[in-house]
Formats: sequence, C-alpha cells, structure tokens
Amino acid sequence: MKIAAPCRIETRLPRRPEFVRFARSAAKALALQLDFNYGDSCDVELSVGEACANAVEHVCDVECTEILMSFVIESNHLVIEVCDHGQGFDPAKVESSQEDPARGLGIGLQIIRALMDEVKISSSCQTGTCVRMVKYRESEPDAGE
Amino acid sequence: MSTTLEIGSRREGSEAGVLSLKGEVDVANAHQVRDAALKLVSEGVRLLVVDLSGIEYMDSAGLGVLVAIHKRLREQGGSLAVAGPQPRVGRLFEITGLSQVFAVREDAAAALKEVGG
Repeated sequence: MKIAAPCRIETRLPRRPEFVRFARSAAKALALQLDFNYGDSCDVELSVGEACANAVEHVCDVECTEILMSFVIESNHLVIEVCDHGQGFDPAKVESSQEDPARGLGIGLQIIRALMDEVKISSSCQTGTCVRMVKYRESEPDAGE
Repeated sequence: MSTTLEIGSRREGSEAGVLSLKGEVDVANAHQVRDAALKLVSEGVRLLVVDLSGIEYMDSAGLGVLVAIHKRLREQGGSLAVAGPQPRVGRLFEITGLSQVFAVREDAAAALKEVGG
C-alpha cells in the first residue's frame, strides 16, 4: 500500500546504541516503500544511522535520554530530522577538524553530506542538535541490487 | 535489537594476522572489532588485515575503530590494510579519504602482501 504525500511521521527513541539499528532500518524500509531506489534507500539508512550515532556517542548530557526522529514525506522527496536535546556542539568546528577521524563525529557528518541531497545541522547549548536531511526521489525506481 | 556481527581471526606467520568480519558494524558493536583487533596486537601481530568482504553495513564507528587500530600499529612499526569491502562499504573509504590513510585491497591475499605479511 502506497503512502500518500504529504505525510509526517514522528518517533522518539531511547538514546542508546542498540536503538540505532532500529532507526536506520526503519528509515531504509520507509524509503523503499516510497519507491526510492535501492541505492538511495541505503544512503538514507546510513545517513540516519550516522545522525543517530552522533546523538548517542557525542552527547554527554545525562538528562538527554531521547532521540527525536521525524520523516516528512513529500511528493518527490523525503525530509528526515534527527534531533536531541543535549549540550550541542559547533558544527563548523567539527567539520573543519578532520585531523582526528577516530573521534567519529567529523566522519559521520562527512558521510551524511556526501550521501544526502541537502543537509542542515543546527546546534546550540539551549536547544541541542538537529540534523535535517533531504533525499530526492529519482523518477524511476530500480530493481534493487 | 542487536546488530549481527561475527568476528574471526587467524595468524599468518609470526607478525601478521587477519581479522575477518561478517554482518554489520555500527555504533552498537564497533567495540567488539576494536577488542578483537587489540587482542591480536597483544599477541604480537603488527601486520593486520581486516577482511570486510562479509560486511554488509558499516558506519563511522567502524571506520573510527580501523583508524585507531591503524594508529596503534603504526606506533609499533606495523600497519593495517583493509580487504574486500563490498561497494557500499568501500565507498565510505573514498568519501572520508581513509583510502589514503591505509591500503584497501580486493582480497585478503592482496592486503597481506601490501602490509608485508
């Protein structure tokens, strides 16, 4: 059964590593159901996984226990937001600092920017961090891989 | 919901070893890869190949572990190479520039040759 656009889905996840797989798997399943091709659906999966992993790994605030994830389904694209209410960070500083890729945060954002069509990261100590990602659907779904 | 990951390891001579991974590596289980690699290093492996041919999904947490192990081996005069990543995993090494940090080869034999094992 097709999902008619526009439509908005919101969910809250515990901010724990074991829920990242659920989040990314759900995102991939939704993209496939929306007739995104297999490759783009995998890109959505990895990008959501990275955004959630950032929220899990790089938020030190113990009061921040949830990840808020939303999907906005439009006729030709999917908007995904992954947000937390942690202490935030300076996105410019992270993205310009690639000398220590073992830290992961810079690599994760690098991957998201490479795979998604639009990416906006907002972060502050008052509101936490929100990664907004957009993926446009190609006209003809492929047969998978 | 845990992430599925199988880890195997074998020695190749006195200083070389191969870590074979199968399944998915993400933020929930990347520490298992680190622990398995460090175990090999503690046993004397300085030339390490990480065989990713069985990995269907890997994220930056997995990449971060590979970088950390690579640094550890370099400090000891050794090196790390990656073998056989599937296209979606292999693409991550290009996106992040890590293909310039350590060798990515098509199979374990080629990777072992690269590290000198």
